[in-house]
Amino acid sequence: MFDFTYQERKVILFLIIVALFGSLINFLNKYSSKTEKNLSYLYQNLGKLNLNTVDEETLIDIPGIGKILANRIIEYRHKNFYFKSIEELKNIKGITRLRYEKIKDYFYLP
Amino acid sequence: MKRPLPFLTLIFCLGIFFAFRIKFNLTLLYFLFIIFFILSLFTLKKSFFDFFLFVLIFCLGIILSKNTQILPTNHISKIISYKDEPYIIKGSVASQPEFKNNLTRFIFNVKELENKAINQSTSGRLLVYLKGKKELAYGQVLILKGRLFRPFIFNRINNRYSTYLSCRGIDFILRVKNDLDILRLGKKEGSLIISFALNLKNKIKRLISYNLSFPALNILEAMLLGERKSIPSFINDLMIKTATVHILVVSGFHVGLVTFIIILFLKMLRFNKWFNICLSIPCLILYCLITGSSNPTLRATVMAVVFLFGYLLKREPDIYNSLSIACLFILIGNPRQLFDIGFQLSFASVISLVYLYPKIKAILHIDNLKIKFLKIILKSLLVSFSAWLGTSGLIAYYFKIFSPVAVLANLLVIPLASLIIFCGFSLIGINFVFPILSPLFAASLEFLVFLLIGINTFLLKLPYAYFRLG
Repeated sequence: MFDFTYQERKVILFLIIVALFGSLINFLNKYSSKTEKNLSYLYQNLGKLNLNTVDEETLIDIPGIGKILANRIIEYRHKNFYFKSIEELKNIKGITRLRYEKIKDYFYLP
Repeated sequence: MKRPLPFLTLIFCLGIFFAFRIKFNLTLLYFLFIIFFILSLFTLKKSFFDFFLFVLIFCLGIILSKNTQILPTNHISKIISYKDEPYIIKGSVASQPEFKNNLTRFIFNVKELENKAINQSTSGRLLVYLKGKKELAYGQVLILKGRLFRPFIFNRINNRYSTYLSCRGIDFILRVKNDLDILRLGKKEGSLIISFALNLKNKIKRLISYNLSFPALNILEAMLLGERKSIPSFINDLMIKTATVHILVVSGFHVGLVTFIIILFLKMLRFNKWFNICLSIPCLILYCLITGSSNPTLRATVMAVVFLFGYLLKREPDIYNSLSIACLFILIGNPRQLFDIGFQLSFASVISLVYLYPKIKAILHIDNLKIKFLKIILKSLLVSFSAWLGTSGLIAYYFKIFSPVAVLANLLVIPLASLIIFCGFSLIGINFVFPILSPLFAASLEFLVFLLIGINTFLLKLPYAYFRLG
């Protein structure tokens, strides 16, 4: 009936499957607000480091953080019973406004 | 010799390399060039001709490089002393303005320069930083007042910021702090084609940002439009460690997929083959301009155009020859690009894929395998391994990082990246035809990007995934 070529059929199927998959995600988001919350939380924080559990070695690996600063961050975490917000990083000696802007995106708090 | 062009390109590159390392007298070089040219004319029918041709190409590499090092007398770097008072500079915006860290950044073509002591017409390029977000466009003529600085050491990843900028013909940075120091003149300069490409880019950017949110938005802008500046540093760092960051830079992989999409689209419109190829060449050039004509994109576009022309002329295109043409095309335009990291990585990866992959495949007798699925997996692994083998030395030297996880990471990430690119272009296309469907495509895309970051995060946690060197 339709005079589609082999390649055209493949393109149509690809578009249908992408749209279908997208609608499934949208359906899950609408079905449960918990799913939407979890998904958006994951989208925002995946790949970031948990500021309350990150170790010294990983901290040193971040551009802008050296050994001394990594020690200070861990020390602050122990002294204050974990970070309550990422902004608390500003309270640490050596983290200027510019450095904070540079490193803040590397972390998240659960 | 079966393929003379790659060998001549290598000689030309050697000429450029020596030109930047050793002092030569340009007049003497021109004199030598003429002598060898005459000698080669006399030996046209003799075997000696090849030798004179090599010397000529070598000299040509040196002469072209030396010429780019000699600046005109009115060049900005010959006029200014940057300890002076602020300068008033007239010129035009030569790149798409970018906004990051509360600063608007663009390349500026200088036309006139003025301060207490000087007032004269001049030439050269500056990198301009303006405080805050400014609505500026490519080609706009401006008068700016600010202080000029020499480029500083960039960061621990890139060698020196000054080298990076000098490869792009930029010697100074201009910082403008006050809004009153920017005067917009009504005129517009610059290429009409570039203006058209950048306008199209802005439209696509708006469309993407309307449908997607962080981080899918930033990743898609980088993968489709070459807007790498907007990628969050933690994602960039993550992908450097797994050696998959090349998918965020528009390169041969992207241009290959775009060529495929363009040809497929034109085929669906039922045009004939000849017309399809003729139309896809300007489309590819337009895509190259949209993405900012970086070295990898330029290399891939030239190669694709050579291949398409070969197809048009019914001649079997040779990958080594087309690679050499691409290399010469970039280096004749700007010989300094030989020292650009992007240029070196781009060519190293293609050469290793073209040369090493078939050799390793033959050694391991992969084509003799009977299980088709295993054959595909092994071939994909070998492609990834060959590219890693060819580029890991350069990556270790420049980025001080060695990533054994790269082979596995690329095996998983490249098919996913292809899917993201296909979905990205589908989203753009669907937005024009059925905008009502775009949220569905956007949801799929966000999930695929999430998967991409997830795979990289997981792989990085594997033991001995990467090592910092030095």
